[in-house]
Amino acid sequence: MRRSVVYPLVALGAAAGSLWFGSPASAHGYVSSPASRQALCAQGKVADCGPIQYEPQSVEGPKGLRSCHANRPEFAVLNDNGRNWPATQVGTSVTFNWVLTARHATSTWEYFIGNTRIAQFSDGGKQPNATVSHQVSLAGYSGRQTVLAVWNIADTVNAFYNCVDLQIGSGGGGTGTPAPKPSATTTSPKPTATATTRPAATATASPTKAPATTKPPVPSGAAWAAGVTYRTGDIVTYDGRRYQCRQSHTTIYTWEPIYTLALWLPV
Amino acid sequence: MNAVTRLRTAGAVLLAAVVLLAGCKDVNRPAAAPAAQGVAAVAEGPHNAYDVLFLQMMIGHQRQGLEMLRLGRTKGVREDVVNLAGAIDVTEAEEVERMTGWLTGWNEPATGTDDHSGHATHGGRPATGEEQIKALRDASGADFETKFLNLLIAHQHNAVEMAQQLKTNGQNATVKQFAERVELSRTQQIRQMLVLVSG
Repeated sequence: MRRSVVYPLVALGAAAGSLWFGSPASAHGYVSSPASRQALCAQGKVADCGPIQYEPQSVEGPKGLRSCHANRPEFAVLNDNGRNWPATQVGTSVTFNWVLTARHATSTWEYFIGNTRIAQFSDGGKQPNATVSHQVSLAGYSGRQTVLAVWNIADTVNAFYNCVDLQIGSGGGGTGTPAPKPSATTTSPKPTATATTRPAATATASPTKAPATTKPPVPSGAAWAAGVTYRTGDIVTYDGRRYQCRQSHTTIYTWEPIYTLALWLPV
Repeated sequence: MNAVTRLRTAGAVLLAAVVLLAGCKDVNRPAAAPAAQGVAAVAEGPHNAYDVLFLQMMIGHQRQGLEMLRLGRTKGVREDVVNLAGAIDVTEAEEVERMTGWLTGWNEPATGTDDHSGHATHGGRPATGEEQIKALRDASGADFETKFLNLLIAHQHNAVEMAQQLKTNGQNATVKQFAERVELSRTQQIRQMLVLVSG
């Protein structure tokens, strides 16, 4: 009898309560870069966020609010400035990138610093694309600032809210690079590209677009683990059997060798 | 998972035939036809209309994502982006074969009358329109990666939503287990992509 894979509870998430089908009010969206607070929670860079980490697109509330969490108690962590949110380093202008999971007719997109609206984009009730970008000038601002980004839906009373923490300084531009983050809040198993990758195991590995950084080697035949970068040709052991990697990737739960012959071939 | 053990035995004969047939058509993926050890080749037991609709919609959804993923594999700049696109591409292609097999076992077609009927009733449209794929084709460098990652994040959020609905409304145990894996895998892919898009 084959045992089931048992995942950590935290990985399984709060799945209940989606109102996707037949619920026209379930438009969703959030700012992915520079990372909004809900995006930082969803990517695991800021820990212990509660349910928002599984639904960063759901910070929905009545129009006209000026809070980071749409005044929803289950998302209160987003409005907690004591969480030491990592700020993204930017120059005098920044491009905000939105991910929309439901493309509702849109009246406006608004950006605030404090009580000042620094930018507004009007869509006139049009349906947006699945991704939306706005370039916003930050002229006159410097240092650490929190931008409130608001998506106002045209055909409901609601809006979606995001707080984006920025470190505004000279020399940057576009979305810049992330500011150093406090290590106390870093819990992602593989937050950077360089954590656990190993050099190509064989000369016949698939060609890669960018040269691999020198990484600590993973012993051949070591146990498969989540959050590890394997390269084509690498050998792992899972549940007592050996498998060879067929496509370089960084592992996630559900990509265990027993679930995918496309990534792992029994050897 | 004792059902899996039984299914593996039952499916072995069937799979041998499938491998033979598939081998004639697609020599590039000879190992993709058999089910992985932990995945049932046949969705035994009762199922309902929602199971059928979900599988048909997921097949349509993943086919829609394929062009995006292949652009990511060829136009991505960072190795992590290229590898993630590649891994999602091959695992989703494998899932499409599996889902198609389950539907075939129920005498149901792999595509419904409208792949995105769910989106339509929901007041939206498929997340990734043709104009956005074109914009992706025309973009390059860091701009391409930002567009690609954000489109794929939205696409995978939609898959999570579909899987959550199946868990509520579906009936078949194999499909429900699959929906749980879809929800979990896409959530972790989104996590990786959010790191990449803000890095």
